[in-house]
Amino acid sequence: MAWIDFLDLVQSVMDGVMFGATYALIGIGFTLIFGVMHKINLSYAAASVGAAYLSLLIVSVAPTPLVYLLAAVCGGLLGALIYFVCFKFLPLNQSLATLMSTVGMLLVLEEAIVHATAGMPQNYPALFADKVFNVGPFIVRGDLLFVFLLGCAVMVSLKFMLEKTRLGLATRAVAQQPIAAQICGMSIDQTNASTFVIAGFLGGTAGAMTGAAIGVLSPLLTLPLTVKGLVVTVIGGLGSIPGAILAGLIVGGAESLFQFVRGVSERDIYVMLMLFVFLVLRPNGLFAAPSGRE
Amino acid sequence: MLKVENLARYFGGIKAVDGIDFDIHRGEILGLIGPNGSGKSTTVNLIAGLYAPTKGRVTYEGQDIQNLLPHERANLGIARTFQNIRLFGQLSVWQNLWAARVVRETGWSGLKERWFSTATQGKLETEAYLEFCGLQHKQDQLAANLAFGEQRRLELARAAISGAPLLLLDEPAAGMNSEEIDDLDKRICTLRDQGKTILLIEHHMELVMGVCDRVVVLNFGRKIAEGKPEEVQQDAQVQAAYLGSDSDDAFMQAALQA
Amino acid sequence: MDFYIGLLQVIGVHTLLGLSAWCILHTGQVSMAQGGFFAIGAYAAGMLTAMVGWSLGPALFIAALLASLIAIAIGFPALRVKGLMLVVATTAFAEIVRLVFFNLKWQVQTPNGPIGPDGGLGFGGIRYFPANAWSGFEILTLIWCLVAGVMLVLWLLDRSRIGTLWRAVGEDEVAAQSAGINLTAAKVSAFGIGGAIAGLAGGIFSHNTTHIEHGNFTILLATFAIAYPIIGGLKSLLGTLVAVVFIQGVLIEGLRFLGDWRSLLFGAMILAIMLIRPTGLLSAPLCFPQFNSKKNASVDDKKIGARHA
Repeated sequence: MAWIDFLDLVQSVMDGVMFGATYALIGIGFTLIFGVMHKINLSYAAASVGAAYLSLLIVSVAPTPLVYLLAAVCGGLLGALIYFVCFKFLPLNQSLATLMSTVGMLLVLEEAIVHATAGMPQNYPALFADKVFNVGPFIVRGDLLFVFLLGCAVMVSLKFMLEKTRLGLATRAVAQQPIAAQICGMSIDQTNASTFVIAGFLGGTAGAMTGAAIGVLSPLLTLPLTVKGLVVTVIGGLGSIPGAILAGLIVGGAESLFQFVRGVSERDIYVMLMLFVFLVLRPNGLFAAPSGRE
Repeated sequence: MLKVENLARYFGGIKAVDGIDFDIHRGEILGLIGPNGSGKSTTVNLIAGLYAPTKGRVTYEGQDIQNLLPHERANLGIARTFQNIRLFGQLSVWQNLWAARVVRETGWSGLKERWFSTATQGKLETEAYLEFCGLQHKQDQLAANLAFGEQRRLELARAAISGAPLLLLDEPAAGMNSEEIDDLDKRICTLRDQGKTILLIEHHMELVMGVCDRVVVLNFGRKIAEGKPEEVQQDAQVQAAYLGSDSDDAFMQAALQA
Repeated sequence: MDFYIGLLQVIGVHTLLGLSAWCILHTGQVSMAQGGFFAIGAYAAGMLTAMVGWSLGPALFIAALLASLIAIAIGFPALRVKGLMLVVATTAFAEIVRLVFFNLKWQVQTPNGPIGPDGGLGFGGIRYFPANAWSGFEILTLIWCLVAGVMLVLWLLDRSRIGTLWRAVGEDEVAAQSAGINLTAAKVSAFGIGGAIAGLAGGIFSHNTTHIEHGNFTILLATFAIAYPIIGGLKSLLGTLVAVVFIQGVLIEGLRFLGDWRSLLFGAMILAIMLIRPTGLLSAPLCFPQFNSKKNASVDDKKIGARHA
């Protein structure tokens, strides 16, 4: 491979890794909800994209950072809605039923987006799109860098919240022993609802970041984002936030790599194969004990 | 019949079982006791095949069963019950027993069993064990809907119907009142009279002392005593393990000898 | 009249798809791979009749067999993963299958022009039915005979020891192992049989629609596949059928009144059904121990799951 091609490859992978921050956020959202409720919320990515769409409502009147903020807030609201509709009233041991209900929600959200926008992609504002930094032979796109840094900031604040605040403690307690947590005076309902809201915040941010990085929002984003998010969650290890972060970056980078080498139409095949390799080698994910014959 | 040699199982830094040896003789009821955390359940899981040992081995009828999966060990002759009842909740009582019985049928005869014969060996045995656990009138009820004591009896019957000569009973008396324990005592003796060999893990001392031929005592993953129930009761180490090493406490000593 | 024949055909094919998921769900595995097996059956049968000139019977048989073999191949690694991981892994598999067909270009020359899968453009010209003058009604009869046959086979299996063993494995794997049930055999056989049924359904589907493309086999299809038995209730075969009739009927009937809103209605409907009758329309489904394992976990449970394959 010629040197210039190699540089292109590295450039591509770098961009991919930075974009992977969005995957990481989605993965964290999935893993948070799984960690607390031991259920998967399949409508999560759809809600994230939906939140980004909702934030478009003010795009003509507000500066871009405010748009992002609105996306996060809407994400939180949608998260609460999903909790209320899909999870609150279903008995917790009916995992199939909750799974199906989130599928139903996914369809509702996706169709709502299609109807609201007549299926046309919408432009999404990016920050620092015109800034580029030159680092050696590489170009670092300002908007991607911003996406990456914002993603990191969000992850750090999440970590802080989980470890240092009362809510975070309650979340972890309820995840591990719901009945004992209740006895200690924590309301499971409130805690779970707030977990969904927080995950929704993350999701809304992720949706906004995805839109910013790609430049447009489209309802076609929801299914691939759901799949990638799940892949990230699984590779990282169910319930592990550091795992989701690392896996998100890996998937982002790998995606770019595969696209560079084999083109867009075959790219996802290799991403999935990578998932299989991970599942074979470390079925419990990056940050869980490797399983196998004990 | 079953030989445990230098068996050890470590979980990271925790030595749950740290080199124990004992034998189970055919036809006997061997008790396995020890304070909480002494490694009893881990030992049972090692014998049943749910964990692989870190060291040592288990031989059944002279055969090293190291590489056998749990269901293979069950088919070979080792059945068990669980500390936390594990029934097939959404299956009926009948089906719970039937599932364990039917795996003994190899080939296509099993498929025919249910439909084309009215009174086959398998069905007769299932009915017999239904009587054994006293649930004939409830055979179509879902196992999850039974009372706790009934569930325990069903689980015991399920282990017995598998035809396995060796039964591992993991704290079968947990949560039972004294009436139920007496009942359990009788059932265990019935099983022994049918020719089964039993390894009994228990905390209820009266049951252990009453029904076991021999007792092995574990503490911190090691065997600290072995022998007849009365001998073990008097053993100073055993007393220390259960009660703490303040052997000047006359009250405690008196209680133990009572 | 034609409209209703078409509707009943679709319902038949989807029932087969739902039944294939029913098998696998019984052993406690949530598999999103049915769409993948469906696709394999569709393309395989189509290629055999349109490109090689086979007749329908053998083509369907080979399609089902092929799908079954691939399902068994998937079934083995699937043993290593549980619960949600399995959902993701099977989703990934289904996506891989879809993408492979998206990229597959393989055409043969026939008197009527090139026939064969053409990448993103799909695979058209599967004209066995029109070429052999099958009427819509005859196709319908074929589909429903297959549905009835498959249901009969599954019913017999369910009532026999195999069904009891499958359910036992789905209920509690640890207890099942300790009772002497071979987990691998149970789970892989469920995959194999489910795969065969899905492959059969796919073969019929491709002939019925004469043109298939990768977009027919998305995750959404896989979701439908498991939705039917879940919504219908896992204890009863008929429940799956009822669910298909209900959903497809409403979906396609709903088309008339609501136009494009039908998918949204579908989603809302699933939500509503799950809220009102979480145990399924007809009866109680199995609960999945794997999803709950962390809640009830004792030390045993966490280690035990890894112990086979």
